[in-house]
Amino acid sequence: MDVLSFLSVAMIVVALAVFGLRNYKLAVSAYVVQAFILVLIFLTLSISHDAGPLFSWAIVALFTKVLFVPYILFRLLKKIDIESEVEPVAGFFVSPIIALGFSLAIAMSLYPIYLKFSLIQEHIPLIAAITVFMLGIFGFILRKSAVKQILAFCTFENGIHLTLALTAYNSPGIVEIGILTDAIFAVIIMSILATRFFKYFGSLDVSKASELKG
Amino acid sequence: MSIQFLMILVLVVPLGFAALLWFLPTDEKKLGLVHLIGSIASSVVALMIISNVLDGERYFVFGDILFIDSLGGVFLTLIAVTGVLINMYSVKYMQWEVKKGDIGVKDVKLFYVLSHIFLFTMTLSVLANNMAVMWAAVEATTLSSVFMVALHKGKRSTESGWKYIVICSIGLAFALYATILLYGAGHAVIGDGHNAMLWTSLMDNAKLIDPDALKLVFVFALIGYGTKAGLAPTHTWLPDVHSEGPSPASAMLSAVLLKCAMLAIIRFYGLVGNSMVGFEYVQNLMLIISLITIFVAALFILRQHDVKRMFAYHSVEHIGIIAFGFGIGGPLGIFAGLFHSLTHSLTKALAFCASGNIIKIYGTRDMRKMGGLVKVAPVTAVLFGIAICSLAGVPPLAIFASEFMMIKAGLGIGQYVAVALFIIGLAIVFIGIFSHFNDIMFGEPKGEILSKEVELSANLPLIALAVLVIVFGIFSIDSWISLLNNATKIVVGI
Repeated sequence: MDVLSFLSVAMIVVALAVFGLRNYKLAVSAYVVQAFILVLIFLTLSISHDAGPLFSWAIVALFTKVLFVPYILFRLLKKIDIESEVEPVAGFFVSPIIALGFSLAIAMSLYPIYLKFSLIQEHIPLIAAITVFMLGIFGFILRKSAVKQILAFCTFENGIHLTLALTAYNSPGIVEIGILTDAIFAVIIMSILATRFFKYFGSLDVSKASELKG
Repeated sequence: MSIQFLMILVLVVPLGFAALLWFLPTDEKKLGLVHLIGSIASSVVALMIISNVLDGERYFVFGDILFIDSLGGVFLTLIAVTGVLINMYSVKYMQWEVKKGDIGVKDVKLFYVLSHIFLFTMTLSVLANNMAVMWAAVEATTLSSVFMVALHKGKRSTESGWKYIVICSIGLAFALYATILLYGAGHAVIGDGHNAMLWTSLMDNAKLIDPDALKLVFVFALIGYGTKAGLAPTHTWLPDVHSEGPSPASAMLSAVLLKCAMLAIIRFYGLVGNSMVGFEYVQNLMLIISLITIFVAALFILRQHDVKRMFAYHSVEHIGIIAFGFGIGGPLGIFAGLFHSLTHSLTKALAFCASGNIIKIYGTRDMRKMGGLVKVAPVTAVLFGIAICSLAGVPPLAIFASEFMMIKAGLGIGQYVAVALFIIGLAIVFIGIFSHFNDIMFGEPKGEILSKEVELSANLPLIALAVLVIVFGIFSIDSWISLLNNATKIVVGI
C-alpha cells in the first residue's frame, strides 16, 4: 500500500473514532489527528502530483483545522462540564456500524462519477473523501449531543475539503478562502450556541429541545 | 460613477456601516439613525446598479468573479426595495422590544450590525459569477443571521438558532458537492481553473459539459440550496426559525434570503436546462418538489394557531409556488416564477411586519387569543388584511397576478394535472388563511390588549409595502417587465 492510500484509510478510521468515541476530550483529540492526516494528504499530493497550491492548503489547514478549531472545541469543553455523551440514536455500538456501512456504500456508488472529472486521478483518497463526508452527515443524524454534532460538521468539512483538493486544487484562491472562512465561523457560532444550550437546558442533548413543534 | 465602481460600493457600504455601528456608543437613538442611513445608502446604490441592467446588459468586476445581469438585477431589487423597508420598520420595532425589557440596547446594536453584514452576504450571493463564491456567500447568510434569529436569550431561541445552523449547513454541504462536480465537469471542457468556476463561461459551454454529471449536479444543488430556500422535505428548520426571531428578522429571512437561495437554484436550472440534458429533466424535478412543498405547507397552515408560524409555512408554500413556475417552465412559466419572487417578497415583508404590530398589541402570537383587530387598531388591520388577501391570491393584489400567469402558462403547455393539483393546494391554503383571518380581525378581543394602534412612523414602511403590493397587482411597470423579460431570456438561454 502506498503512502497516499495508507493515509486515506487512516483518515476513515480516525473519522469513525471521532464519530464513535463517547468521551468528548478523546473525540476532539481524534479530530485533531484526523485534521493532521488531512494536512499530510495535502502535502503528499502536492509532491506526488506536482500540485503546488496544495502545499499552501496544507499550511493553512495546519493552522486552522489542526490548531484553531480544536482550540475552540477544547475551550467549549471547559465551559460545559460534561465528559461524555448520551446514548445516540440506535445505540453506541450499532450507530457507527450503520454510519460506516452506508457511508462506504454511498462513496462507492458516487466516486466513479467524481473520479471521471478529478484533476488528481486517485481512487482511494476520493473514496475516503466521500466516506468521511458521509460519516459527518450521519454524525448529525445519529448523534444527539451538540458537541458531537459540531465534530460531525468538522468531519464532513474535512471530507469536502479533500474532495475539493482532488477535483479542484487549481481553482482560484478565493474559493478556498471563502469555504474555509465559513467553516471556521460556523464552528465558532456553533460552540457559542452549544454553550447557551447547556446553560438553558442543562444538557447537551439536542433531542431534549422540543419547544418548537408542529 | 461607473457601474463597476457601484458594484464595489454596494458591497462596501453595508460592511462599512456594520463597522461604524459596532464602534458607535450604545445609544439607541444614534444607532437607529445610523442603521437607517446605512440601509437607505445601500438601497440607493443597489437601485442605481439595477437601472443599468434593465435592458439586458452585463457588467463584470474583480476579474469576472462578480457580475450583474438582469437575472441578478431581479433579486437585487428584492434586497434594495423590500430590504430597506424592513430595516426602516426594525428601528421602531427594536424600540418596543427594549421598552418591554425583552432585550437591551446592546442586543439592538448587535442586531443592527448583523443586519448590515447579512445585507452584504445576500448582495454578494446575488452578484457572484464564481459559483464557489456564491456558495460561500449563501453559507455566510446563515452564519450572519443566526444571532439575528437567536437574539432573545432563552430555550426557544437557542433551539431555533441551533436547528437553523445545523440543518442549513448540512443542506449546503450537498450544494458544495454539486459545485465541485460542476467545476470538474466544466474544467474538462473549458480547461482553465478560473473560467470553469464562472457561471457565464459555464453557460457558454453548457452544451459540451457531460450530461450525466450535470444531472447529478442538479439533484445535489436542488437538495442543497433547496434546504436553504425552504423546499420540502428539508424545510423543517424554517417554521422554527422564522417564528422565533424578532419580526424584522423573520421578514428579512422570508422576503429576501429565501429568494437568494432560489437564485442559486435558478442558475443551476438554467445551466442544466441549456445543456444536452434539456429543460424537461429540470422542469420535472422542480414540478414534483414544488407540488410536494405546496401540499406539505398547506396542511400545516390549516392547523397553525401561532401567527408567525403560520406565515412561516406560507413562506414554504410560496417558495413552492416559485418552484412551480420553473416546473412549468418556458418563457411564461419562468417569467411568472421570477415575478412571484418579488410579489411574495413584498407581501411577506408586509405580513411579518404587520404581525410585529399585532404581537405588540395583544402580547401573544396565539391567534385564538386575538380578535377585534379592526376596532382596536384599524390601520394595522387594513395592512394585515392586504397582506393576507395578497397571500391568499385575491385579485387584484400582486400575488394573484403572478399565480394567474403560472396557471395560464401551465394550461398553455397542457400540464393539466399539475395545474389542477396546484389549484387544489392553493384552495386549501385559501380556506386555512381565511379561518385564521376571521379569528384575528373580527369579533370581540379574546385576550388582553396591551397597547392601542402603533405609531404612524412605525407604520410608514408598511404602508409603502402595501402600496407596492397593490401597484404590482394592478399596473404593469415597464422597467420591471423589461428587467423580468431579460432575466427570463438568460434562464431560457436566448
